[in-house]
Amino acid sequence: MALTTEEVRKIASLARLRFTPEEESVFAHQLGRIVEYIDQIQAYEGEEGSADAVAAVKEAEDVVRPCLPREQFLANAPASALGEFLVVPEIKGGSDE
Amino acid sequence: MSETPSELWELSVEETARRVRAREVSAAEVTAAALARTEKVEPLIAAYLEIYAETARERAADLDRRLAAGDDPGPLAGVPVALKDNLSLAGAKLTCGSKILTGYVAPYTATAVERLLAAGAVILGRANMDEFAMGSSCENSAYQITRNPWDLGSVPGGSSGGPAAAVAAGSVPLSFGSDTGGSIRQPAAFCGVVGVKPTWGRVSRSGLVAFASSTDQIGPLARGVRDAALGLAVIAGPDAKDATCSERPVEDYRARLEEGIAGLKVGVIKEVNRDIGAAGFDPASARGWRSALDHLAQAGAEIVEVSVPSLDAAVAVYYVIATSEASANLARFDGVRYGRRAAADNLADLYINSRSEGFGAEVKRRIMLGTFALSSGYYEAYYGRARGVLERMRHELDTAFTKVDVVVTPTAPTAAFGIGEKVDDPLAMYLSDVFTTPASLIGLPAVSLPTGVDDRGLPLSLQIMGRPFDEATVLRAARALEIQVAWQHAPTFRTVRMAGGG
Repeated sequence: MALTTEEVRKIASLARLRFTPEEESVFAHQLGRIVEYIDQIQAYEGEEGSADAVAAVKEAEDVVRPCLPREQFLANAPASALGEFLVVPEIKGGSDE
Repeated sequence: MSETPSELWELSVEETARRVRAREVSAAEVTAAALARTEKVEPLIAAYLEIYAETARERAADLDRRLAAGDDPGPLAGVPVALKDNLSLAGAKLTCGSKILTGYVAPYTATAVERLLAAGAVILGRANMDEFAMGSSCENSAYQITRNPWDLGSVPGGSSGGPAAAVAAGSVPLSFGSDTGGSIRQPAAFCGVVGVKPTWGRVSRSGLVAFASSTDQIGPLARGVRDAALGLAVIAGPDAKDATCSERPVEDYRARLEEGIAGLKVGVIKEVNRDIGAAGFDPASARGWRSALDHLAQAGAEIVEVSVPSLDAAVAVYYVIATSEASANLARFDGVRYGRRAAADNLADLYINSRSEGFGAEVKRRIMLGTFALSSGYYEAYYGRARGVLERMRHELDTAFTKVDVVVTPTAPTAAFGIGEKVDDPLAMYLSDVFTTPASLIGLPAVSLPTGVDDRGLPLSLQIMGRPFDEATVLRAARALEIQVAWQHAPTFRTVRMAGGG
């Protein structure tokens, strides 16, 4: 199936990405070709998976263990303060979307 | 790489560790030799994003002090090792080949890397990769192009192109990569080395940056099967930090490695044979394939044809499932907790700008494809259907494995392709994963090993897949084939074709 630039824009917004109009048309073409190729799976009848694989994963015990020290976590943050918390930028207005 | 190694960098992993443990050579001498070799080849191939010369020397000196005190560092004593740039080493940079992680420093060490250190390995550097392990050529690295030691105009394969090129060039005898759809096996094939993708759940992924969690596995690359088996043995086994890591005990992979494959039933997939026989399939690769089968038969294997009809859909299924998982796994890169943060006036723009500036084109393409496959209205037709076809493929392969002990295919449809040849055609790039994706989707162990060269002298390889957790048989078959083939080629560091050409 071909993808329109409108569809590309919608998927980009779901993926928290933004493209220039030129990039949108390149992506529409490339993704369209890839989806066209992927569409061959529609010709196959699928089967149900067994629950064994899921059952094989053992859940971790729910116990308190030491975790990454705060200063090590914050060392990779774009901004932090007082060695205590992440700093996020001031939101100056506008909606979240 | 010559028949009788005269230089320390030419020694196998086993022989290096043996000599270091016997104190015939010091870890410092081995490290110095590896660094000298790396200094010589690195300007040609650019396999590394960072070389830890100083810490490697310090580590080697420490190992030598321990050896002098009567301590045995372990089975990798003094062995220089390269790590793909998505494996965490506490205190070292970790970028996954991406600008979005510029400046990130790993706060802890991956379990697999901890085990390498506990076995006496010396980490030599951080090797290049396709951004977030997405690619088959290493050209998607945000930092540099790595070149194939066999032809400087060809790609080393990907995504573990740096680790594969480093081993092929003699910089290190052992490296570790990750394989999600072929990312260890295909670069191993392109670079003429041995690469192992273990069974899903055999090696802990704690400390590996996630791409597609239902297929990601860490595995070794080495110049021979014995060394790859040793590398795998060191990192395999249960880990409380990864709930998906199996508690099944690890077999001694080397115990029966030399026993040969007389009577072993080797499956050849009918649908693969058909593709190889079809017009348009690379003639040199087809010849290489037939010659590898002859070698297996000469080693005493019984070749049995099996059928896996859904194999034709493997690449399509893989590019739905892997991209869907990637779109979820990479949602964590949002400019808030770590990595690149872009300027923005509101929260949505903070996410959008950070991601749009930080990710490269292929990563965006896959996030988009995965988001599409999971989106309302398309989920059942794409993600749901792909899961169904995957289960069909699992069923067909299970049936095949009731008749045979291992299944073989070429590792890739061609030898290494030229730099720039496929960058503008993502679908053509994806199709180079045609033989490696099935073992990834089903979680089977698979080994790639060199079996010949094409007309230009570039390596050709065979892939051997096995039943889940039957690495021992897969490695034994690979070892028997390795002996039968008696491959003596070595990379030439010349330019067979010009970059950008065909």
